[in-house]
Amino acid sequence: MKVRVDPDRCQGHTICSMIAPTLFTLDDEDGHSTAIDGEVPAELESKAAEAIRSCPEQAISVIP
Amino acid sequence: MTTQPVTDDDPEQDDTGRKKNRYHFDRHTPDYREKFTEVTEEMLDKCPVAWSDTYGGHWVAAGHSEVFELARSAEYLSNDHDPQNERRGYKGISIPSPEVGFRGGFLEMDPPEQRHYRQLLNPYLSPAAVARWTPLVDEVVRASLNERIETGQIDFVDDLANIVPAVLTLAMLGIPLKNWDIYVEPIHASVYTSPNSPDQARIAASRLAMRDDMMAQLAEIRANPRPGLIDALARAEINGTVPPDFELLGIIALLMGGGFDTTTALTARSLEWLSEHPARREQLSAQRDTLLDSATEEFLRYFTPAPGDGRTISADCVIAGQEFKEGERIWLSWAMSNRDPEVFPNPNEVELDRTGNRHHSFGLGIHRCIGSNVARMVFKRMVIAVLDRMPDYTCDPAGAEHYQTIGIIQGMKHLPATFTPGPRIGDGLEETIARMQVLVDEERLAAPVTDRKGAAREK
Repeated sequence: MKVRVDPDRCQGHTICSMIAPTLFTLDDEDGHSTAIDGEVPAELESKAAEAIRSCPEQAISVIP
Repeated sequence: MTTQPVTDDDPEQDDTGRKKNRYHFDRHTPDYREKFTEVTEEMLDKCPVAWSDTYGGHWVAAGHSEVFELARSAEYLSNDHDPQNERRGYKGISIPSPEVGFRGGFLEMDPPEQRHYRQLLNPYLSPAAVARWTPLVDEVVRASLNERIETGQIDFVDDLANIVPAVLTLAMLGIPLKNWDIYVEPIHASVYTSPNSPDQARIAASRLAMRDDMMAQLAEIRANPRPGLIDALARAEINGTVPPDFELLGIIALLMGGGFDTTTALTARSLEWLSEHPARREQLSAQRDTLLDSATEEFLRYFTPAPGDGRTISADCVIAGQEFKEGERIWLSWAMSNRDPEVFPNPNEVELDRTGNRHHSFGLGIHRCIGSNVARMVFKRMVIAVLDRMPDYTCDPAGAEHYQTIGIIQGMKHLPATFTPGPRIGDGLEETIARMQVLVDEERLAAPVTDRKGAAREK
């Protein structure tokens, strides 16, 4: 499983990185989020799913 | 306030279809506060977007998916406040609009102007920028509690939740910390005092003193630059022009209004709830490492300190299945959308470990609260310190005073509590604020994160 943050939708709410700090990095200047490039480690898949469910802007998705 | 949807035919024939969902909505009455759950359930069930005849007529969006779609449609919804009628004469984010009109900073602007200001100020308010302030906040919290810890009595509003957000906001702006009490009273009291209260003259005077200090600070920082949000504004060029001072003062007022009473409200309401639910309080304290984040989001959802924002429809459109006409006003209710059972199971219960909590308490879209990272950090540090130093506190229901209406901020005037007295730790508030001023100056803490990284450290 891979995840992606849509930069046009993300507004820097930071919820994703609260849930899964190793999967999402926040920009120092505006707090907007970027997901890690590679595969989500199996043990963090449920956290990734929770981040997707919790994003107020619905900006995170699974890359097929 | 009517609690039945109004079904009368619209006198304007054209609009009968368009405005078929009607609800008499007046969020500025005490009745709305008392019947909030009832009104919310009814609107969510029957009319998630409704036309209300109040305040010259306006739309009200209560449903979660409807508010989500509307708030993110910046191309059709305008925040612009244009009191001089230089553009389209729009009324900004307050419903009803204030009689004496001035623009409330970038929250009453549209892009690209709004975006320029956000880009200018984000490096002072991003998660990385805010993290630098945690040690200072802990010191001010510690000292505030010291002032009451030996007595066994505290007013969580007056003695803690009013002080810490104000001191931090001033520090971030670049205003001397000791000036906090010039600003606290007018901002707090302006929110909860009704326009015809006999107290208005005193509050108006305190507001003037605040405005004088704000103007003096802007002039002083311009003459002798020191880092902070005001310095960024004093140097700002927006679209190639230097903004006039009244525009900058509107922005400083917005940052103060956003920074002070909202976090105060969240903290007071949450501490009151925790007093009423001592088992949950013990659980939160014991499991803070896993529970504090989700509990904070849940308190934000449940209490929604800033309950909504107004907008103006800027072009005819259909959004969330509703047809809107240019110029119409709309109220986006973060508070009611935060109780939508479609998204939040058991919406009227506080569940400290709630997941999938897509609440709207900081707004949505391009106007997401620029201080959200500050609010979360300050709230968490205050609550944890209370749980550590006053773990058995009990709020006094007879002394607890909620704002009479929840139209602007869902806050409290007073929240007295008693607890088992404990020892002071370190110095008191006045000495601490003086020490923190030295720290802010020497460490240039209020500089943007692009210039200065890392947390505050006393030498």
